[in-house]
Amino acid sequence: MKTSAVFSAALSLLSLVSPSSAKSTTTAASPSKPPQVWKNANLVHIISVEKNYVKENINVLVENISKQPQDEYFLLLTADEASRLGGVEVKDRKNAKAGPFGVEVVELDPKSNDQYIRIKLPAALNAGAQQTLGISYYLLKAYKPLPATIKQEDQQFLAHSFSALCPSAYVTSKQKTEVKLPSANVPDYTKLPGSGDVKEFPVKSGAKLTYGPFDEKPAGAVEPAQVRFEFNKPVSHVTELERDIEVSHWGGNVAFEERYTLIHRGANLSDQFNRVKWAQAAYYQPNTHALKEMKFPLRVGSADPYYTDVIGNVSTSRFRSNKREALLEIKPRYPLFGGWKYPFTIGWNSDAKNFLRQTVNGGYILNVPFLEGPKQPEGIEYEQVQVRVILPEGAENVKYSTTVPQSSITSDDVEIQKTFLDTIGRTVLVIKARNLVDDLRERELVVSYDYPLSASLRKPLIVFGSVMALFVGTWVLGNLDLKFTSK
Amino acid sequence: MSADTLEVLASAGKGQSTRTVLRFIILSLIAGAAIASRLFSVIRFESIIHEFDPWFNFRATKYLVANGFYNFWDWFDDRTWHPLGRVTGGTLYPGLMVTSGVIYHALRALTIPVDIRNICVLLAPAFSGLTAFAAYLLTNEMAPSPSAGLLAAIFMGIAPGYISRSVAGSYDNEAIAIFLLVFTFFLWIRALKQGSMLWGALCALFYGYMVASWGGYAFITCLLPLHAFVLICMGRYSTRLYVAYTTWYALGTLASMQIPFVGFLPVKTSEHMPALAGIFGFLQLLAFLDYVRSAIPSRQFQTFLWLFAGGTFGLGLAALVIATSAGFIAPWSGRFYSLWDTGYAKIHIPIIASVSEHQPTAWPAFFFDLNMLIWLFPAGVYLCFQQLADEHVFIVVYALFGSYFAGVMVRLMLTLTPVVCVAAAISASSLLDTYLNVKSPNPEEHQADDSADGSAKKAAKAGLKSTSKPVVGVYGWLSKGSVAGAMTVYLILFVLHCTWVTSNAYSSPSVVLASRMPDGSQHIIDDYREAYQWLRQNTREDAKIMSWWDYGYQIGGMADRPTLVDNNTWNNTHIATVGKAMSSREEVSYPIMRQHEVDYVLVVFGGLLGYSGDDINKFLWMVRIAEGIWPDEVKEREFFTPRGEYRVDGEATETMKNSLMYKMSYYNYNSLFPPGQAQDRVRGSRLPEVGPSLSTIEEAFTSENWIIRIYKVKDLDNFGRDHASAAAFDRGLKKKKVNKKKGPRQLRVD
Repeated sequence: MKTSAVFSAALSLLSLVSPSSAKSTTTAASPSKPPQVWKNANLVHIISVEKNYVKENINVLVENISKQPQDEYFLLLTADEASRLGGVEVKDRKNAKAGPFGVEVVELDPKSNDQYIRIKLPAALNAGAQQTLGISYYLLKAYKPLPATIKQEDQQFLAHSFSALCPSAYVTSKQKTEVKLPSANVPDYTKLPGSGDVKEFPVKSGAKLTYGPFDEKPAGAVEPAQVRFEFNKPVSHVTELERDIEVSHWGGNVAFEERYTLIHRGANLSDQFNRVKWAQAAYYQPNTHALKEMKFPLRVGSADPYYTDVIGNVSTSRFRSNKREALLEIKPRYPLFGGWKYPFTIGWNSDAKNFLRQTVNGGYILNVPFLEGPKQPEGIEYEQVQVRVILPEGAENVKYSTTVPQSSITSDDVEIQKTFLDTIGRTVLVIKARNLVDDLRERELVVSYDYPLSASLRKPLIVFGSVMALFVGTWVLGNLDLKFTSK
Repeated sequence: MSADTLEVLASAGKGQSTRTVLRFIILSLIAGAAIASRLFSVIRFESIIHEFDPWFNFRATKYLVANGFYNFWDWFDDRTWHPLGRVTGGTLYPGLMVTSGVIYHALRALTIPVDIRNICVLLAPAFSGLTAFAAYLLTNEMAPSPSAGLLAAIFMGIAPGYISRSVAGSYDNEAIAIFLLVFTFFLWIRALKQGSMLWGALCALFYGYMVASWGGYAFITCLLPLHAFVLICMGRYSTRLYVAYTTWYALGTLASMQIPFVGFLPVKTSEHMPALAGIFGFLQLLAFLDYVRSAIPSRQFQTFLWLFAGGTFGLGLAALVIATSAGFIAPWSGRFYSLWDTGYAKIHIPIIASVSEHQPTAWPAFFFDLNMLIWLFPAGVYLCFQQLADEHVFIVVYALFGSYFAGVMVRLMLTLTPVVCVAAAISASSLLDTYLNVKSPNPEEHQADDSADGSAKKAAKAGLKSTSKPVVGVYGWLSKGSVAGAMTVYLILFVLHCTWVTSNAYSSPSVVLASRMPDGSQHIIDDYREAYQWLRQNTREDAKIMSWWDYGYQIGGMADRPTLVDNNTWNNTHIATVGKAMSSREEVSYPIMRQHEVDYVLVVFGGLLGYSGDDINKFLWMVRIAEGIWPDEVKEREFFTPRGEYRVDGEATETMKNSLMYKMSYYNYNSLFPPGQAQDRVRGSRLPEVGPSLSTIEEAFTSENWIIRIYKVKDLDNFGRDHASAAAFDRGLKKKKVNKKKGPRQLRVD
């Protein structure tokens, strides 16, 4: 009952969604700067560097200072940040039901380094009215290791540069920036003169640095700052993830395959790898910046996992499967240090009834996780993600919706792929996304399609027909008499 | 009801078509058994290419599939034999790769996209099914009873001698060559029996395919002329022989010359001479003489014959000697000499002798690889002597030659196996045909025969009990039962033996090692691929890897990096250079490595795990091969202690301890152990307390169980020092001020 409700809700969503390219250049007629129609009454900027990507939260109370109702709010970014930006989501902090916010990265002036996130409010805000926006997004490839090369047994430190003042397209009356760190070991950070009763910014309390509160700042004000902190964990970065989801109606199976191009973006080794030290460190110093293991919590019911790389099966993996969990633990062939690469492939099967439902009017709905990467305490980031949903031959009328932020999805296509015993090829839905992180790994992908009975009977009939034709052909040929002298 | 079914069952198998269907089903089952018994390694490990040479074939196949046939034909590979490169397209037998490529594209066309790796892995088992069928056909030409053919098929299918080269993953030329060998022989016998040009041409076609696939084609090139020669000597010259041989020879030689690697060898080298000058020419003479004899009176013919024969022989011999000495015909190659003198290679061509499969066969190997077939085999050859038609002569000749070659080289066991299977099947089937025949001769018929003979015999018959009761001897139930029972037991034992041998001896990929954990579960030691993958991912695309030639193909295939030498040992000097670099002191090796732009050096070390196939155990071959080129600089004697022992512990010679190979193997090894406890588990010796130190190279990667160790060759020192003093400085040693008598300062020009 409940699931059907969910599905019908999803169906209604499907018709809404028509993702276009997330980034667009506005026409020449539009202004090169957003109009100054807003004021940030209060702004709290939380920069979380606890994982190997940056999560930023901007909670801002905006006020319409123009005369007309306004429905577009701009957030300032640099071009570099815009290229590493992902997973932008906007909420109304006060009213959770306040409809969907449209999010788009735009470039108003091609000559300037400034880019903007354009936020379309669900309803225009009247002059003088206020609304509390919660904007959250991720920045990938945010850190650089400092020192850039370290010894195998050393601690790894990362540096992150940011602005102590939240870059904003509007005047900000009051603001505060908090930096959340993975540990209290922070050897260096930028110190700024304080204001009010605080002598010096930032205020450090445990694993948190607080810059501010600052008083009124003009639009576009920045205050460069840097923090260097201990991060003795791998900085895993997936440059490309290809995820194939193959649906088989005859087999009653959904097969998953994921191909990762993994690289460790942390500090490189200053000396060469030393096996003796590595073996000893396994006992004395288990905490290391090398990537030793990854855990993939798969959906319950997953079976037959495999873990290979370009030269074959990798034997260092374990799979625990029972009623409550299906945990795939894999180890790379060698421990991964800074700058080292390790591309690999994993895959598994699952019963189709865990993911596939038939609707009342004969169509099918597939509900799978958009992303099922490893779950690591230090996090993992994905630069390019390509999800291919391979539907059976003859599937048509394909629509999809996903709870992954729309701004991260760069393209979607329906293609044809010919594989085992296909005549017209299978329908493949290809969705490309970029700059995702493992926080989004439970987000759903709902695909609906029609699969008529005639399409499902095509393959058996064709195989049967060709084998019969072969037999008849052989029989006819066998009965021909090609000898010169008959009888 | 039951009587009816029994009758139906009994009458089934009598009709011609039921027999055909039965035979077809049996052959399919045999092919299935042949394929299934080769899959141990796929089930136990994974679908992986085995050992060394198959990795090259696999890489070449991938190249063929990716770049098309013409590019493959013209392939110059600059990623091997750095800096020489290798004209790969012209120096390989393309049959195997083309076969896989054709299968790959055919399956694609049928919309069954199979990964090329799986095609390569499963090619050998698939062809073994065909080999069983070919053995069936060949044996059917020999024996009147079709049961011999079926027995030969199953023997061929599961004989370990053949399985050893055709398990899944063993993607080598032999995988398809044995099928081609047996099938070419079948076609030859057919052509000879019928004197048919069609079969002769088919024989040539498959001979051409064989030449394209395996260097062992020379076996056919020598065996068919030999068969023809023996037939002529037995006075069995016939037009059938003439037609079959000349058709095969002319077309087959043309076909073989299409392969760039073979080219003009069939008319230029000594190995091919018996086929050309010997028998082909001889047959023309015979045909001519035959014609002359029918044309002129016999007295004149006699004188004509003597003069003609003597003249031709003298002329031919003189021409051969002149052509050989003038260099038109190459003399016998070294590999060929080693077939006659097993000690030849060890002295003259150490690189051939260093391969374990080129060693002479130990006698238990015959029993190991052939089991009961080895004692059925002579019986089969004997039965061939009893009939001795043309095709039986072939088996006799093949048996003689095959046995000799199999005794000389371990790998030639492979060419012996088909004839053993055929001969053994003939003898086993004649045994079974005799003893499994339910029908006894009717005593009345005997009586009638005897009475016709007369009364004298009758009297004798009364005296002998056995003759009065003919059902006792061979026809008695007891003897029938015991012989048939014994044969059944032997056959069952044979199957058990084959399965055991295949499972234990021939199904290890050797890239992956299996061991057992204390709780009995399988633990896989995957050091090779760990290190190769590390090289592939974390070194420059064109980083040159120096290693002993055994690992060249694997590095090319798995690590995808250029190598200095590989298993295609075409350039002995280059291999000796690597051997010299490995066996010399660092100061000598470093310039060699710099000159060859070596970035990494890879050694295999089994000391920690007790893995005996490591480089220290192969080291003496490197020394010998290097000594062959630089006898003044590398001396094998210096690697032995004064008492003639090959040691790696504290008593090893200074040359040994200072050699690059020794240092690379044991560098940093003693830090794994408490002081003074370092132990080499392969050679069972305790190592010196202070391990070797390295200055010109540095350890870059060591695999989990230390099997593969990779060293990076250091760049030139920034301050222009030599590496030894730079390393000493880094260790904190003070530089000794000795060189006061420096010449005038000079501008260094690099």
